[in-house]
Amino acid sequence: MAKYMSVLLDDKRMEAIKGSGLEEKIDKMFGGALNAFTLELSDAKAKEVMDAFFTARVDSRAFITDVPIAFCRTLFEEIAKAKSLGDDVIDAVLARVDEIKEAADKESEFLPVPEF
Amino acid sequence: MLRIDTPPPHGGRLEERVVRDPELGKKLAKSCAATYDIKPTLSDGVPIRNVYREIMSICYGFFSPVEGSMKKAEVERILKERRLLNNWIFPYPLVFDITEEELKDLGVTVGDRLLLRLKGKPFAMIDIEEIWRIDNAEKLATKTFGTPEDNPEVVQEAFNAKMPGWVIYKSLNPVVLAGKYTIINEPTFLKPFDRFWLPPVKSREEYARRGWKTVINHQTRNVPHIGHEFLMKDAGFTGDIEPCHGIQVNAIIGVKRAGDYPDEAIIEGHEAVNLGGYIKPERHIVTFTLWDMRYGNPLESMLHGIIRQNMGCTHHMFGRDHAAVGEYYEMFATQTLWSVGIPSFGFPASVNDVPYGLLIRPQNMREFWYCPVCNEIAYSECCGHTKEKQKFSGSFVRGMVAEGIFPPKVIFRPEVYKVIVKWWKEFNYPFCNAKYVKEKELRLEVDLPDMDI
Repeated sequence: MAKYMSVLLDDKRMEAIKGSGLEEKIDKMFGGALNAFTLELSDAKAKEVMDAFFTARVDSRAFITDVPIAFCRTLFEEIAKAKSLGDDVIDAVLARVDEIKEAADKESEFLPVPEF
Repeated sequence: MLRIDTPPPHGGRLEERVVRDPELGKKLAKSCAATYDIKPTLSDGVPIRNVYREIMSICYGFFSPVEGSMKKAEVERILKERRLLNNWIFPYPLVFDITEEELKDLGVTVGDRLLLRLKGKPFAMIDIEEIWRIDNAEKLATKTFGTPEDNPEVVQEAFNAKMPGWVIYKSLNPVVLAGKYTIINEPTFLKPFDRFWLPPVKSREEYARRGWKTVINHQTRNVPHIGHEFLMKDAGFTGDIEPCHGIQVNAIIGVKRAGDYPDEAIIEGHEAVNLGGYIKPERHIVTFTLWDMRYGNPLESMLHGIIRQNMGCTHHMFGRDHAAVGEYYEMFATQTLWSVGIPSFGFPASVNDVPYGLLIRPQNMREFWYCPVCNEIAYSECCGHTKEKQKFSGSFVRGMVAEGIFPPKVIFRPEVYKVIVKWWKEFNYPFCNAKYVKEKELRLEVDLPDMDI
């Protein structure tokens, strides 16, 4: 069964993808209150993500969640770079797994409080 | 005849094992043969349980009719058929465990009374009736929660180190001192917990004062998102000839898994729902129980039923994945227990329909989601737009919070989100992590008065 990942798009990320062609792939969630990309992962790729991160789990929607924030950040960077939502993006993220884990170690102690 | 009355406590009477007279407390403390400083149970150096929370919940009657640390025969009966020796149903072994070295140092034996200190001060005592050994803690852990082979109705996967409850039982010390607990020096609660402490005797008084005959309980280990709020509101329509008079939130306060919200944010987040008027305070009350969650889905729901019946609730709402982590249990295992029973756990019928069972009534609810077509929070059994639905996934919501994305009102009430940010600033982190759990174990939820003995 396919698994999915969601990449939330705040104003900064929306600005970063302007004109990239990715705008057409944005999902409007909760009546348009949230913008997100939805990636469909093959079983093999989903397993690689799950194996790489101890905290990762599949929620009731079949979405992979509880990955480090650094993973989500890197995933967005690679999407913006490749202008794609395919498995190639997941490969690019997994190639940076050491860097993500290093950042994840830090974020398990501290996450900046958002300023609104 | 259609009216529903407040149920009696589980087991027939509320246990209250708290000495409130300081002079009597001192006298009892002096009668103890030895003194033991309560320590948290650790896994890889991180606290996963503190027996003080069990002592509090037992002595204040939340777990009635349990009176103390269990004897070997009682634990064996629980593991076999989920019943105490007096026949009343109960889901989990509860024990006071120490190491062989500690037993040697204490030099206590059956018939002795042991003084238990917390934060360096006298707290409680245990009258030792039996000393027994846990031969194999891992086996105990597995038997506590079940296996796919022995409990095929609801257990889908073998339990392992990712399941906090299993880790708690696996980490128990080998020596069990069994006997009744008595609190001899009543603790005072720290802020913000102090204003939510309502043990069963008091909760029953409070419901009566408010004129509540029917009260439905909402179990929580979460800061409430809108899905939770609608679960509470809609389940609250259950009652007898009118909707339930009261909606009680009873938060479980204690060690939780990494990624859950801090206890302080959970309890104040629920309070924000009524302070914001989303469920008015006249109909909504926020309370808590001290317990290090085992995440045992159907078994945990049985404990929840016992706690809330003891508190005087007439109804209990149960949703999907109740008190669950991972996919060890089938997602509606709790509702199975409360509707048809789970024979392999000793319940050929609902826990309401077995001898010495529970009287609190389940309200088994399916799911709430956001429906962009209905343009509202919809109940899964009403809304026909299953393709368009957008589910409230707790982990999705946590991910949004962690990324610092301001949640839309359709996910969190602004007042509730402000509570998350308030405690995020306090702990430099929005969720439970090892640092929070370690610091919390030093602080705990209580302080104790001086008691010079």
